[in-house]
Amino acid sequence: MIAARESTTQGLVDSDLECVTRVLAGDLNAFEAIVRRWQGPLVNMAWRFCRDRGRAEELAQEAFTRAWRGLATWRREGSFSTWLFALAANVFRSELKRFPVATLPIEEITEPSHAPSQQDELERQSFKDGVRRAVLALPIRYREPIVLFYFHEMDVAAAAQTMKMAEGTFKARLSRGRELLRRRFPHLQEKSAGAAATILKTGRET
Amino acid sequence: MERKTELDTIERILASEEVLVPSSGFASAVMERVREESAAPPPIPFPWKRAIPGIALAVGVFGWGAYEMMRSASAMTISLAPIHLSSATLTGLESTGWVVLALGFSLLAWRFSLRLMGRAGLL
Repeated sequence: MIAARESTTQGLVDSDLECVTRVLAGDLNAFEAIVRRWQGPLVNMAWRFCRDRGRAEELAQEAFTRAWRGLATWRREGSFSTWLFALAANVFRSELKRFPVATLPIEEITEPSHAPSQQDELERQSFKDGVRRAVLALPIRYREPIVLFYFHEMDVAAAAQTMKMAEGTFKARLSRGRELLRRRFPHLQEKSAGAAATILKTGRET
Repeated sequence: MERKTELDTIERILASEEVLVPSSGFASAVMERVREESAAPPPIPFPWKRAIPGIALAVGVFGWGAYEMMRSASAMTISLAPIHLSSATLTGLESTGWVVLALGFSLLAWRFSLRLMGRAGLL
């Protein structure tokens, strides 16, 4: 199973390298393969930054266009996905600075008085939306580490690389961001408060 | 696996994000834009050869102006006691100095932004 996954990953790497080489040689169609391969991750990443489907696609499109323009700047020693995600995060950051997402200040996002019941799907959904809106309302220096940490499935190293930031700094900001969220939603800490610390120590949730 | 159960509610919500599927025309839209950009003529480069003499002249004029201002200001300061310039005149001179300084900074900022644009390939 692991061998199969490794060979798939290696296949993607080879494929990215091959496509980039072809694009740089003037074959524009090879870029379409890159777009088709990475459109899902990039649109999802953008979605987490703005929570607006249309805008997420616009942002992802902008990121792909910039990637196409700057393809020659990809240093082959790093993985293509790392380079692409870092570029996309940069694009999303600057675009959202120009036209910020309309959010309430975090202080105005109301916390439900109790955790949602397992039976009420609607209540649970609105509750989840509230937490996600609160993430968007965080100051950008704490918002981005949280968004990227969960986008990278709790892989601190990958998320820190995407932000082009030292892991220590990343962990500090992530921790502070979570702390702000927990303060906003104090009733939701029914489980171990040490969970975040455990994950931060190991670097990756399994 | 054990750690998963330790996650508090906020963690669980953030970790369990639904996956968004890009719309069917997304890749085509990106490729259309890329093709448009590749077909567009390259941006006209900044005419440095023509601009350099003008820039040099402007820098020279500004520099000379600043030098003359400073020189006349210092000469006036030395002979302040006998001339007894009014405070309004002194204020005016000081303001002129600041204007010259601001112009100098503007020139530097303009040059710096041009350089940045050049590095980004926009010129």
